[in-house]
Amino acid sequence: MDTRKAFKAAVVSSNGTVIKGLQIFIADLRASPHSADHEKRIKSEIVKIKQQFEASNSTHGGDKLHQDRLGGYQRKKYVAKLAYIYLTSNTTKLADILFGLDQTLILLKSNVYSEKFIGYMLLELLMEHKSVAAEIGERLVPYVTKDVSSSNDNFTALALNFLGVVGGMCTKFAFNEDLVDEVFQIVRSPTSSQYLKKKSVLAFLVLLKANLSILTDNIKRKQIWIQRIVSLLDDTDNYRLTLASLPLVEYIARNIGPSYCVRLLPQLTDILYDCIVLGTSTGKSNHFPTEYKFANMPNPWLITKTVSLLNAIMVSPKEEYESQNSQLLQSANIDPENLGKLRMCVAKAVELGTRRINDPMEKIVQNTVLFSLINFAPKLDPSEVAITNSVDALCELLRSNEINIRYLTLDSLIKLCSSCGKIALDAVRYKNMNLIFHLLNSERDSSIARKVIDLLYILSDKDNVKTVVDQLLSYIVNAKYIPDPQIRSNISVKIAILTEKYATDSTWYVQISLKILSMNFSTSFNDDEVWHRLCQIVVNNPSLRKITCVQLVEYLQGKQLSEFIVKTAAFLLGEYVELIRDIITATDMFNLFSEKYFMVGNLTRAMILTTMMKLHNSAPEVGSKVIKFYQLELNSLDIELQTRSFEYLKVIQLSKISGNNNLIELLFQPMPPFNTKSNPLLNRLGSLPLDTTTNSSPLKEGTVAPPPYTSTASLPLVNVPKPPISRHSGSMMSFPSTTGNSNTLLRGLDSSYADQQLSPNWREGFSRMLQHKQGIFYNSSLMKIVYRIIHVEPHHLKIVLTCINNTEWEINGLSTSVISARTHDNPEYVVQNIEFPSNPTIQPHKRQGQQMEVIIRRSMDVQESPILNINFRCGGSVNNLSLKLGIGMTSTIFHGDSDAHPQQQVTLPQFITRWKALGNTLGKDSECVVESMPMRGLRAPDTDPDSTDILVGQISQILKRMGFDIVEQDTVKNPVFAAGIVHTKSEGNFGSLLKVQCRVDGKINVTCKTTVPGPLSSYIVECIKTTVAG
Amino acid sequence: MSHIKYLLLVSRQGKVRLMKWYQPLTEKAKTKIINDLTPLILGRKPKMCNILDYSDHKVIYRRYASLYFIIGITPNVDNELLCLDLVHRYVETMDVYFGNVCELDIIFNFAKAYDILNEMVMCDGSLAESSKKEVLYAVQTMDGMDDNDKLEKVLS
Repeated sequence: MDTRKAFKAAVVSSNGTVIKGLQIFIADLRASPHSADHEKRIKSEIVKIKQQFEASNSTHGGDKLHQDRLGGYQRKKYVAKLAYIYLTSNTTKLADILFGLDQTLILLKSNVYSEKFIGYMLLELLMEHKSVAAEIGERLVPYVTKDVSSSNDNFTALALNFLGVVGGMCTKFAFNEDLVDEVFQIVRSPTSSQYLKKKSVLAFLVLLKANLSILTDNIKRKQIWIQRIVSLLDDTDNYRLTLASLPLVEYIARNIGPSYCVRLLPQLTDILYDCIVLGTSTGKSNHFPTEYKFANMPNPWLITKTVSLLNAIMVSPKEEYESQNSQLLQSANIDPENLGKLRMCVAKAVELGTRRINDPMEKIVQNTVLFSLINFAPKLDPSEVAITNSVDALCELLRSNEINIRYLTLDSLIKLCSSCGKIALDAVRYKNMNLIFHLLNSERDSSIARKVIDLLYILSDKDNVKTVVDQLLSYIVNAKYIPDPQIRSNISVKIAILTEKYATDSTWYVQISLKILSMNFSTSFNDDEVWHRLCQIVVNNPSLRKITCVQLVEYLQGKQLSEFIVKTAAFLLGEYVELIRDIITATDMFNLFSEKYFMVGNLTRAMILTTMMKLHNSAPEVGSKVIKFYQLELNSLDIELQTRSFEYLKVIQLSKISGNNNLIELLFQPMPPFNTKSNPLLNRLGSLPLDTTTNSSPLKEGTVAPPPYTSTASLPLVNVPKPPISRHSGSMMSFPSTTGNSNTLLRGLDSSYADQQLSPNWREGFSRMLQHKQGIFYNSSLMKIVYRIIHVEPHHLKIVLTCINNTEWEINGLSTSVISARTHDNPEYVVQNIEFPSNPTIQPHKRQGQQMEVIIRRSMDVQESPILNINFRCGGSVNNLSLKLGIGMTSTIFHGDSDAHPQQQVTLPQFITRWKALGNTLGKDSECVVESMPMRGLRAPDTDPDSTDILVGQISQILKRMGFDIVEQDTVKNPVFAAGIVHTKSEGNFGSLLKVQCRVDGKINVTCKTTVPGPLSSYIVECIKTTVAG
Repeated sequence: MSHIKYLLLVSRQGKVRLMKWYQPLTEKAKTKIINDLTPLILGRKPKMCNILDYSDHKVIYRRYASLYFIIGITPNVDNELLCLDLVHRYVETMDVYFGNVCELDIIFNFAKAYDILNEMVMCDGSLAESSKKEVLYAVQTMDGMDDNDKLEKVLS
């Protein structure tokens, strides 16, 4: 209460800030009850303001000294009044107040805060109109840029707010380099205040949305800027900044490339864990700041935004097969610790969601958290128990008294069922069907009824389809209160699809379809598709024709009349009248139709005219009646009916004259089968998530649908969400602008790989890794990284990296990611089971371990070895290391422990035989020769006559370290001969033979032959080159 | 990612008191939304669900005293309940600022009402600040600036 009083006092004391004239004006308007007075008052005010502004304009030129005769306060007042007029008139007075734009711009120039504020406020309102944005957008840019770069934080805040709210309405802002730079400076600078930083992040997002090329045009900038932005999230305790940064990072993840953000997983997990698990615990360990709680729960915005970002960088095991973009994380690639934490968050949210709480707001917040986590759960490869638990928790919520909760529960159930498939579906079906049917019959709200119907649709399978359809039918027939007429149509369409999809009994299918058609709904139900579809199926399935016709006759003889039934009957009975001769005579049939003729619309009448023609052809006894009927209809007011009758009469006449039925037979040939591939009704499912799990339609081929129709089984669904096109195109577009990259594009490298700018000094560790099984991978004044390679199998390497803090300060925000050259289209190698550092902080001189496994599937180029990306902060500076791991074909040469496997030494004669054999069989295809390869670290080789001997020694040493067997021999000193077997997972193992000739100038000539043609030999030589050249 | 399309404040009499469009729409589309939603929402009974499907998006609304807060959101992107939370936080914040806020406060101090909203929500409905205290602090700093301006003016 105290705070409230204090604020009240503040408002009162700041009463001075209130513009008196404006208040009077508003009070005046409110006092005039009649709209005419209202209008008059506004008009006179506009005239007055116009005069004032004009007066100030006219003095503008002449008298420089008294340039501003109007005065800031007056100008502010008038502009504020214009804003009020604009609002109170529901924007209809927009055109009348536009004259004030110039004066508003003058307000922006003012150095008085309140004047600037009012100026920005009106512009924010008006910029929502495209016309206004187009008119003044360009003129505004310099004002806004100036304010953004202003030293006065309050001015900067106003300008950033303006950009953040309406910056996307006009492209002028986003395409102005200076403005974008200024905004980014605030995002980047460590000195800008929290308040400005978070505003600038969102303003930057607005600009980025309007112009993606801000980040994608320039590769260098792309990498640096994105790193800066992503590192905003490294401080997991700074909820203020995190909250504002999450949307920007998510936008980058979704539209530029998730690979930049994948490294955030540990941070995001921490945020979520801190919020949900620690933040809700009742124990003492709960340090969650109260300011970031809402209704006694940890900040729901933070949680949902974090989950949303996680959703963007992860794919569920199911989606993985469909997704083209395998830069995304899969649950299999997340280390157990983080995955465990995330799963724990879901479990906790489910637990919280079922807790009883009295405060309504707290309940809402709790459920917000619950729903966002349950919708995320499928990505974590949940166990069966976890899914069942989630379903049970949700179904429990269906009983909630709170109507919004029921709505969202249904929504979540639909999502969960369509993403988790059978397990979730079965869990719901097992014990909750009755509850859902009960909801269907008791809910009065159309929003909810619609969701119940969607859920029932998803839950249907061949076992319960009859029950579901019966319930839905009885709902549209019996429900006393149907909230929205559209629901009927919605249900009909769904029933039609379900019956077709799951029907095992064709009679039942026909019965239900006709029943839907026979229901006489209001005009809103104008779905021709349903009866079209029925006709198509009956035409294609001879076995259905008779039953359908019999039932149609029954419907026609009944009292109730539905136009759809008449249409169906007109089409099908005309076509198959022969089949039911034993039930009804042609004359009776004619009478039936002629009776219905006058009860239906013109379109149906036209159809009946055709049916009569068909009757006439098959049953000559009705001939005279039909002719009479046509003659009558020659007087029809409808031109279509008239023409049709006339034409049919003529056709009959012609056949009589010519004495044969040739023309008629030609015109009325039996209906050929339809070949519409997919059910057009599927288009009408609307927003319902389509389940691909139940695509094994039990529909027996031939019973209901003949071959052309079995395509329903595969459900070529129309609105399967496609990955946004922009995801890649953005980065692809940038390739032509950079030299050398077109090459990588041709080789099909992932853009994220090709874009990497490697850190200086990366080569040292890269070449060392090819030579030694362990050693120093990288060293700088800040951090040292040591590595160890362990062979799990020859082609399966485990790499253990240890980061050591070299400084006296803490290193924090440590996070790493591994980028592969190719992640799809049969990649050469895969990196998996990455274990990231468990803790983002390294104390001075302490270490942090991490590991990953690389499986080499096919022969690969060492230049495309995985890149390790490390981000960390140390003493206020943000650091990024991009280092290429030294993994090549020679890394797979492995002969285990020499004691366990006695080495099979290759002798010189053996070597020569093999060398020749390879030369004979494969020729040059398997050979790679590189001459005068430079060697590093050799001093003045040619002064010493023994230099080649030293060189030979060195080369032998290096080759041995790389794993090759040196052919031990004394016959020839130079060249060196070596052999080794490289391993791959998919392609098998290959032998390689090397001849290294040392030259007097200190360079070497290398020849390599492999037992397989293709690039393998050059890949091996490349490894050697990398190693010796350093 | 948040995708609030618009936020409207409509009085029980159907007058729009505040509106904010986070998406460029034509005048016609805006008028249509207002004209469609106002009677639809005012006509709903108190016990009804606060979420509606309207044309291609979802509409969340909540009534506080004589005012209806209406938010249009992109389905499957934003969490519906979160919007209710957002509305509640907005109301709470105005409540503290104005001291038991009522419709009149919003009419007479429309600039402040917009200002508070802007402090909280930017860029397509992304939340800029969830802390009530921070928002109020920012708004009051601005009020303070106003006062200073005034003082300087008097002194000069």
